[in-house]
Amino acid sequence: MENEKLFEITAYTENQVGLLSSIAGIFTRRSMNIEKLLVYPSRINGIHKFKITTRTTETLCRAAVQQIEKKVDVVKAFYEIDNERSDRERDIVIAFLEERERNNR
Amino acid sequence: MSEKAGKKITGAEILLESLIAQGVETIFGYPGGQIMPVYDKLYDYQDKLHHILVRHEQGAIHAAQGYARVKGKPAFVIVTSGPGATNVITGVADAMIDSTPVVVIAGQVSNAALGTDAFQETDLIGLTTPITKWAHQVRRPEDIAEAVARAAYIAGSGRPGPVVLDLTKDAQVGLAEYVEAKCSFIRSYVPVPEPSEESVEEAARMIDEARRPFVVFGQGITHSGAEAELAAFLDKGDIPAGSTLLGLSALKSDDPHYLGMVGMHGNLAPNAMTQECDLLIAVGMRFDDRVTGTVNTYAKQAKKIHIDIDASEINKNIKVDLGILGDAKEVLTRLTEKIRPRMRMGWKAASEYCRSIETEKVIDPEINPESGMIKPGEVIARIAESCDGKAIVVTDVGQNQMLAARYSRFSQGRSLLSSGGLGTMGFGLPAAIGAKTAAPDRQVCLFVGDGGLQMTIQELGTIMQEGTGVKIVLLNNNWLGNVRQWQQLFFGKRYSATRMINPDFEKIAQAYGLDIATVDDRKDLAPAIARMFADDKPFILNVHVEEEDNVFPMVPPGKSVNEIMLNSKEWFEYGK
Ligand SMILES: Cc1ncc(C[n+]2csc(CCOP(=O)(O)OP(=O)(O)O)c2C)c(N)n1
Repeated sequence: MENEKLFEITAYTENQVGLLSSIAGIFTRRSMNIEKLLVYPSRINGIHKFKITTRTTETLCRAAVQQIEKKVDVVKAFYEIDNERSDRERDIVIAFLEERERNNR
Repeated sequence: MSEKAGKKITGAEILLESLIAQGVETIFGYPGGQIMPVYDKLYDYQDKLHHILVRHEQGAIHAAQGYARVKGKPAFVIVTSGPGATNVITGVADAMIDSTPVVVIAGQVSNAALGTDAFQETDLIGLTTPITKWAHQVRRPEDIAEAVARAAYIAGSGRPGPVVLDLTKDAQVGLAEYVEAKCSFIRSYVPVPEPSEESVEEAARMIDEARRPFVVFGQGITHSGAEAELAAFLDKGDIPAGSTLLGLSALKSDDPHYLGMVGMHGNLAPNAMTQECDLLIAVGMRFDDRVTGTVNTYAKQAKKIHIDIDASEINKNIKVDLGILGDAKEVLTRLTEKIRPRMRMGWKAASEYCRSIETEKVIDPEINPESGMIKPGEVIARIAESCDGKAIVVTDVGQNQMLAARYSRFSQGRSLLSSGGLGTMGFGLPAAIGAKTAAPDRQVCLFVGDGGLQMTIQELGTIMQEGTGVKIVLLNNNWLGNVRQWQQLFFGKRYSATRMINPDFEKIAQAYGLDIATVDDRKDLAPAIARMFADDKPFILNVHVEEEDNVFPMVPPGKSVNEIMLNSKEWFEYGK
């Protein structure tokens, strides 16, 4: 059996009505408990940030993150084992958005 | 440029203009209070938009699913709020799990009434969020054109899926200028990931090193239009392949590398070879449990490569050694360039043994019985012979579905429509209507059980009104056959609630003005089939088949895919 740990999931999203319940639904479906939830404007202009803490296995956590990132209005989603967080995520998101804008031209 | 530009028109009219701008010709729908402004406008658009009036909204969405799967582009449904909207939910869930591009446009109460439990108000966005690719409410007429363009783009791009647009009364009756909208970019959404060069190279190396590679492909091939690329890849590597239910017809039935269908009622050879290969290459499929049997033992001996457009599928059900994200057509093209041409005679010969056992023990008794009642598989095989692989085969759910999948033959893509992931009884009849509407020049042949037909039988009314020339083959066994089979095999023959007392289908056909032939005797089967195909009109072929026939082979639930029942007494356990 795989061990349960505390994970912190971060999702960078467009600010879309209904996204909160849509993301919450992913946790409900696999009966994963949300221990902590924060939604706030990120430091990237126009992009919101979800921080979700959950206690689960890494396999389930990875699956949930992939399901979150699959949502049309989610830019990127990550997970870290709590306390091991890095600041790289924001840079990844900025680079992704810049590349997308370039592609759109 | 539309002549409507610059003028203020109603949201209802903007909606219809937006649909036309998307290239929509056909809509499946049903009117009601909260969508009346749209239906009123439709009156003026009858020459541009063909509206097919179904008899129940579930019929509208399944018809749209059939239409979309034949056309390979999003199909549109219009329904009213409340019950109209909830009636499409089964189809929305079906489209989600089977990756079908449909857009549902539902009426909704006025902006001010939202949240007040107004007459026919339901929280459609809340209800459909978990079963859509995108669900979105539009409250202002000026947002409609953009929303429709976005809906079509999301539904049809990448891994396709259903979209719901909830259109409030205010959005429909309000005035705005119509500005044509296009959508081919959403910055947060990457429908088609670019396959990484390293992963393709690594895959080519793994394939070259493999002695016993085996391909399992799914509907991703169809979505990607990669039928020719798949065949070329298999040919160069001399690799045998099996199809999932929804992958059927992506490879011609007589392709020399094709071994048949995998999974619970699949063919022996591809199931056995799944457990014998040293490299499993999965393309555009999602390792459904009906395909894998028990996951703990599934292809355990093999290295695995999974090629899919959806990142969340990689490592979801089956852990793989290499995931390649991307469109199947592109990945297969690049892989085919890189792999070495090979001959793998010895490996492919393994399938011959399985095939001969299956022919003797299962196929022959089912499709060429010498006496007794007509077998359902026999009906399908005779029809397959007379259509020569050219028909679009639509199935309902149950024994009819598995037998149609097993005994139909395909010579071109997009020729099998079935509710795979959800297993929705009642899917078949309306899906066949949609398919025939999308491809009026092709023969569309539905195989359906007496249970499933009665779940959406009211759509015979749609056929009557539209004259849709579908051929309905009723495999009539007076049972909920599939469930009865499970009761026989796994519940000690306790036939609880599976016996069906059926109506007189001749009288039903008569009431709808449809031609019907009822067949009990083997000698009458061929003439009845000939009569069915003699003209372009709708036809019901009601065949009284052996009532307690079972579908075999069968990988029983909880077993590995090489532990297969050949009949209720004999097992085939390859490599054990
Ligand atoms: C909407 C729905 N309800 C119930 C089921 C469960 N179910 C699966 S197959 C089946 C029996 C189908 O009987 P019939 O339509 O007569 O087809 P047959 O198996 O006899 O070919 C049932 C009840 C289902 N798949 N879908």
